[in-house]
Amino acid sequence: MRNLRAGLPKKCRDHEGYGMKEFLSGNDAVAHAVKLCRTPLIAAYPITPQTSIYERLSGWEASGQLKGIMMRTESEHSAMASCIAASLTGVRTFTATSSQGLALMHEMLHFAAGCRTPIVMVNVNRIISAPWGFWADHLDSLSQRDTGWMQFYCENGQEALDTVIQAYKIAEQVYLPAMIATDAFFVSHFVEPVDVPDQEQVDAFLPPLDLPHRFDVDKPGFLMPVVTSEFYRHYKNAASTAMDSVQELAEQVDEEFRRKFGRGYGVVESLLTDDAEVVVVTEGSMTSTARVAIGDLRQEGIKVGLLKLRLFRPFPVRAVHKALCGKKKIAVIDRNCSVGGGGIFCQELKAALFHSKDHPGIYSYIAGVGGTDITPDVIRRIALKTLESSIPADAPEWIMNDEA
Amino acid sequence: MKHSIALENIRMGVPEPAQDYLSVGHAACPGCGLATGMKLVFQAMGPRTIAVIVPSCEGSIGGVYPITAYGVSTFHSAFEIAAPTAAGIANALKIQGKDDIQVVAFAGDGGTFDIGLQSLSGVAKNNDDIIYVCLDNEAYMNTGIQVSSATPSFAWTGTTPKGNPRRKKNIMEIMAAHYNPYSATASIGFPSDLLRKITKAKTIRGTKFIHMLTPCPTGWRTASDLSPELSILAVETNVFPLYEIENGRKYTINHRPRRLPVREYLSKQGRFKHLSEEQVRAIQAEVDEEWERLIRNAK
Amino acid sequence: MGKADPAVPVIPISYGRTQVIETGKWSSLKPQPLTMIAPCREACPIGTDIPLFLHFIERGRYAEALSAVLKENPFPGVCGRVWFHPCEASCNRAQYDEPVSIQMLERFVSSIKPEPVSLIPAPNQAPQRIAVIGAGPAGLSCAYFLALLGHYATVFEAKKEPGGVMRWGIPRFRLPKPVLKKEIGRILSLGVQLRTNCRVGKDITFEELDKFDAVFLSPGAGINSLLSIEGENLEGVWNGGEFLERINALEKVRLGKTTVVIGGGNTAMDVARAALRLGSKVTIAYRRTREAMPAIPDEIHEAEEEGVAFQYLLQPVKIRRIRGKKLRVTFQCMKSGAPDKSNRPRVLPVKGKYVTLEADSVISAVGEIVDLSWIPEKLVKNGLVETGGDPRIFAGGDAVAQPRTIADAIAAAKRAAISMDLLFRGNQGREALAGFRAGTKGSVSLDAYLRFREEGKWPEAKEVVSDGRINTLYFEKSRRVVAGKLQRDKRRKTYREVNLAPDEARAVYSASRCYSCGQCNACYNCFYFCPEGAIAINRDERTRTVDLAHCKGCGTCARACPRNAVIMKDMV
Repeated sequence: MRNLRAGLPKKCRDHEGYGMKEFLSGNDAVAHAVKLCRTPLIAAYPITPQTSIYERLSGWEASGQLKGIMMRTESEHSAMASCIAASLTGVRTFTATSSQGLALMHEMLHFAAGCRTPIVMVNVNRIISAPWGFWADHLDSLSQRDTGWMQFYCENGQEALDTVIQAYKIAEQVYLPAMIATDAFFVSHFVEPVDVPDQEQVDAFLPPLDLPHRFDVDKPGFLMPVVTSEFYRHYKNAASTAMDSVQELAEQVDEEFRRKFGRGYGVVESLLTDDAEVVVVTEGSMTSTARVAIGDLRQEGIKVGLLKLRLFRPFPVRAVHKALCGKKKIAVIDRNCSVGGGGIFCQELKAALFHSKDHPGIYSYIAGVGGTDITPDVIRRIALKTLESSIPADAPEWIMNDEA
Repeated sequence: MKHSIALENIRMGVPEPAQDYLSVGHAACPGCGLATGMKLVFQAMGPRTIAVIVPSCEGSIGGVYPITAYGVSTFHSAFEIAAPTAAGIANALKIQGKDDIQVVAFAGDGGTFDIGLQSLSGVAKNNDDIIYVCLDNEAYMNTGIQVSSATPSFAWTGTTPKGNPRRKKNIMEIMAAHYNPYSATASIGFPSDLLRKITKAKTIRGTKFIHMLTPCPTGWRTASDLSPELSILAVETNVFPLYEIENGRKYTINHRPRRLPVREYLSKQGRFKHLSEEQVRAIQAEVDEEWERLIRNAK
Repeated sequence: MGKADPAVPVIPISYGRTQVIETGKWSSLKPQPLTMIAPCREACPIGTDIPLFLHFIERGRYAEALSAVLKENPFPGVCGRVWFHPCEASCNRAQYDEPVSIQMLERFVSSIKPEPVSLIPAPNQAPQRIAVIGAGPAGLSCAYFLALLGHYATVFEAKKEPGGVMRWGIPRFRLPKPVLKKEIGRILSLGVQLRTNCRVGKDITFEELDKFDAVFLSPGAGINSLLSIEGENLEGVWNGGEFLERINALEKVRLGKTTVVIGGGNTAMDVARAALRLGSKVTIAYRRTREAMPAIPDEIHEAEEEGVAFQYLLQPVKIRRIRGKKLRVTFQCMKSGAPDKSNRPRVLPVKGKYVTLEADSVISAVGEIVDLSWIPEKLVKNGLVETGGDPRIFAGGDAVAQPRTIADAIAAAKRAAISMDLLFRGNQGREALAGFRAGTKGSVSLDAYLRFREEGKWPEAKEVVSDGRINTLYFEKSRRVVAGKLQRDKRRKTYREVNLAPDEARAVYSASRCYSCGQCNACYNCFYFCPEGAIAINRDERTRTVDLAHCKGCGTCARACPRNAVIMKDMV
C-alpha cells in the first residue's frame, strides 16, 4: 500500500472533503480510522484476511505514531476479554477479527455487551469452517446477531473508515459495542482511493473521551456480580431500550458526519426505488455491483430499485418501512445461509415487514456464499426472476452457478 | 533463627493489619483455605488495588448484588480469562497514568491449569504487569467436587470416584517456560512467607505468578479446622515445597522442610482414605523425585 | 466515577458489604479462651508465672518481665543461679527438642539495669504486725509477701547480716554478694524491719513474740551434723558450715596442699570448690555411689570440671594425725546392697576392707540440723519445727519437714503469708489455700490471691497443659540457649562467678522458644488463619476478641493455636 499523496496532482483532490485521497486497501482504511480516533488500547490476534489491520496498527504503535498499547494476545477470546477490561477501566479500545476468531470470541461478545462497553470492532467477513476457506461470506458476523452488538455492513473501504469513526461516537453515547463488517478481499484487500480525514477534523467530530472509570480504588465496589432474576431482566430491558435508540442516533450521527466530512450513508440507502416494481436488497460489497446492474436494467426499461442495508443491529425497522412502503416485490440477496432458516437478512426483513399493510412479496436469494462472485449478471437474473414470479417461495433460492 | 512460624509475623514488622479487605459474613464454607488465602493476599496488596475474580469459589465470596465481601475494587470476569482481564485493566491504567494502582487476578486451579491455561500463557508471554494468584484447592470445588489437572494422584473426586489416575500438572514449570520475571509457590500455613512474596511481587514489573495451596475441607473430606495444618504438612512433607523461580531459571527454595513422610499429610484427608500401601509408596516416590529435581535446579 | 450522568448506564456494582449477613448462625460452636497452667509453672514451687515473664522478655519488655517475677518471687537473682530448676525438667518443649533455659532467663531478668520496677504494697484496711524469725530465704520472703499484702513484718536475725544460707552457705562463685545485697535491699525498701544480732532465746525471749499478731519461724538448719568418729575434733578438721561461713565472711583460711571433703550434698560440693580456690587439691569421699549423691547433678558436674576428685563407697571410721601436720582418714569400704523397703539403695560394709586417705585438711559436710534450743517443746517434732495446733504460729524453710531448697523455702513463706492474711480476714484452713494453687502440686500464687482480695472471686484451679496438647507443627526444632562459663582453667583461681550472664539477643531468642503453654501470647496464628477474619488480637493484653455474629464455628483457631489456649464450645 503506497502513499501516493506526494505524486498526485492537485485536481485529484476531492473538492468536497478536506482530506487527501490515498490508495488504500479496506484494511488500511480501517487502520487509519483507528489511528485518527486516537484509540490507545488495541488487543488483537491475527487471522486472514484481517492481518493487515493488525500489522498496520502494530507498526504505528511500534513507531510511536499510534500512542498507546498493542496487546498481542494469544487468541481472539483473550483479545476481547482484554478490550472489555480496558474499556471498563475507561479507555477507548479496538479489535479486529474474522470468521473463526469471531466465533471464538462469542462468549466474550455477550460479555462485552452485557458490560455496556463501547468497544468498536471490525470483522472481516470470511467463511466460517468447516470446510476451510478464506473468502467473503456474511455468516460469521450474522451468527453473532444476538450478542447485543450494533452491526454495520460496509460497502467499501471509505465507508469502513467513516463508519469506524461514527461507531465510536454512537457507542460512547449508548454504551453498546459496535461491529463493523467488511467483506473479505472484496473490501479488505481491494485498493481504492480513500479520503483520509485530517486529525483535527476527527478530533472535532469525536468529543473528548469521557468514559466512566468503573474501577475506583477510593470507593471500591464489586463489578458484575451475580444478580437476581429481576435485576437481570431490568438490565437487559435497559440494554434493549438503548439499542433501539440507535436507529435514530445512527441516522443523526451519520447526518452530522455528512455535514462535516462531506460523506454520509444513512442507515439504509435507497437507489431508484420510487417507481420500482422490484427492489433488490443488498449488503456489503455486492452493493457496488448491484448499482451497476440496476443501472443497466433501468437502461433496458426495467423498473428495478436497490436498497442497501447498512445498519443491521438494531434492525432499522422504521427506515426499512419508509424505504419499502408501497413496494410490491422485494428480492433479498443473502451472502449467507442459516442452514434450516434461510438467508438471515431475508428473515429479518420479513419480520420487519410482517405488519406492513402493503404486504410485499419477499423473495429470498442466496448468492455469493463461500465467496463466490456476485456478478452484475447474477443481480440481473435475480431481478428478472423476481419480476417473473408471482408468489414467493418459503425457501430461499440458491444461485449456484454464474450461468443462467 | 526462626523457630516459630507465627512469631515471624510479628518480627516482619507487619503493621496492625486491616481486616476488611475481605469482610465477615461471606459465603465460603467453614474452614475454607481459599478465603484465608485471599484475605492474606489482599492484606499485602493494600487498598490501591484492583482485583479480578472469576467463577469459582471466589464467586461465592463475591456475593449477590448489592452485597459483597470484597473490600477492594473487584471485577467478576469470565471463567477462563482472569489473566487477560487483569492485563487489560493494567494496560488501561498505564495509559491513564495511574502508576500506583496494582492489578491482581485470582483464579482457581481449574481456571489456571485447565480452561484458563491458554490465556494465562498469552499474558505471561507478553509479560503484562499483573500479579496472578492461583488459589489451588485441587479440583473444581465450586461446582461440587470434580477432577481438574491440579488434582493429585489417586485423590477421590466426584468424577474420579476410584481415585485420580493422573498426576498433578507442574504449573510452576509451565510458568517457568515463559521466562516471566517471578513465580512462587505459597501456602496459607506460612503467612509471613506468603505476605513477603506478594510484597516482593508488587515491586517487580511484568507477570508475577503465585501458586497458592488452599485446602478445601469440603472437597478434601477433612474436618473444617484443618486447613492451615494441612497447608503446613503439605510443605513439610515436600508435597508442596515453598520456592521461587525468577526469569524461568533461578530457583530459590524458601523453606527447609522437615521431610515428614507423606503419610502424615494423606492420612488426615478423606479423599485419600481409600489409598493402598502401594499407592502411598508411589506418592512418596513421586514427591521424593520432584524434591530431588527441585534441589538440583536450585543449585 | 465523575458526573452522575443519567445517560451513563448503571452497571451492577455491589457496594454493600456482607457484614449484614450473620454467618455466625451457621453453627452454635464458638471458640472460647481456655487458659491453662503451663507445667513449668506447676512444677515451680514458688508458682512464678514463667510463660508470662518469658513473653515479656521476648517482646523486649524487660521491666514488666521483672515485675511479673517479683510478684511471686523476691529472689530471682538467687533462684536464677542456684536453684535446680524443676521448671526446666517439666518443660513441654523437652519432649520436642530441648527445654527452654528458664533459669538462665530468670537470672537475666533479675539483672535488668536500671531496675525500673517499684513495688507497691496492696492497700490494707487492717494491717497486722508479724514477727519473722530468721533472715534466710524463707524468713525474708515471708516478710516480703507480708509487706506486699500490706502488713508490717519485723525480721529477727541472730547473725550480724541477713541472708541465711544465701549469705553464709553459698559461695561467691555461685552467688555474688552484690546480687544478694540488691535483692535483700529490695525487700527492705518495702518497709520491712530488720533486727540483726538479735537471737531469740538470748536477746529477746520467745514469749516476747506474743506481742505480734502472728509469728513465722524460719531459723533454718544452722548446726552441722557431726561425723561422730574419733579424731573429729583434731586441728585441721573442719565442719563444712563453719568453713563456708568463714569463706563467705572473707576471712583468711589456710587448708594446705591437699584436702579431703566428706559428704555428698550441695554443701560438700560448695566446700570442695571453695577449697580448690584456696589452692588445695581436693578429693570428695562419699559413703554411697555417685547416683545416690543428694547434690544437684549440675553441682557435682561443676566440681568435677574444676578438678575435684571423687571417691565413692567410703564410710569414714576415724581420723588420725600422722607425721607432723598431716591427717589420715580411715574409711570402711562399702558396697551397694539390695534396695530397702522404700526402694532406696542400701550400702553395706565390705567386711575387713579399709582404705586410707591422707590430707592436710579434712572438711565434713554430712548434713545440717536445726537449733531447737530456744523453741518451745510443743513446736518441735522429730528434730524439726512443727507448728502444731497454734493458729498464730507458722513455719517454713530448712527448719521444717520440707525439701531443703531455696525455692521450697520461698514457697513455704508464701503459703504462710497468705494463710496469715486469710486468718486475719476470718478465713481458715487448707481448703482456702487450694484456690490459689497453680496446678495441682502445691505451688501458690500471690498474684491470684491479691486479685481475689480485690475482686472477691476465687480464682479457679486450672488444668495443666500436657505435652500432647501442644501443636509442634508450628515450631521448628532448635537448640536451647546455654550461657557461657568462665574458662575452665581460670575458674578455680578466682571467686568470680563461674556462670556468665547471657547477652540480650540470646536471652530474647531463648525466651522466644517458650511455647507459652495454655496462655495466649499474641502469636497471631488465629488471626491469620481465620477464614472469616473474625478475630481481633490485643497484642498488649494478649487477648482475643471473636466476632461471634460471623464466626462459623469451623474450629480452625482452636486447632491452629499452638499452645492450646482456645477451645470450641457448643453455645447452645
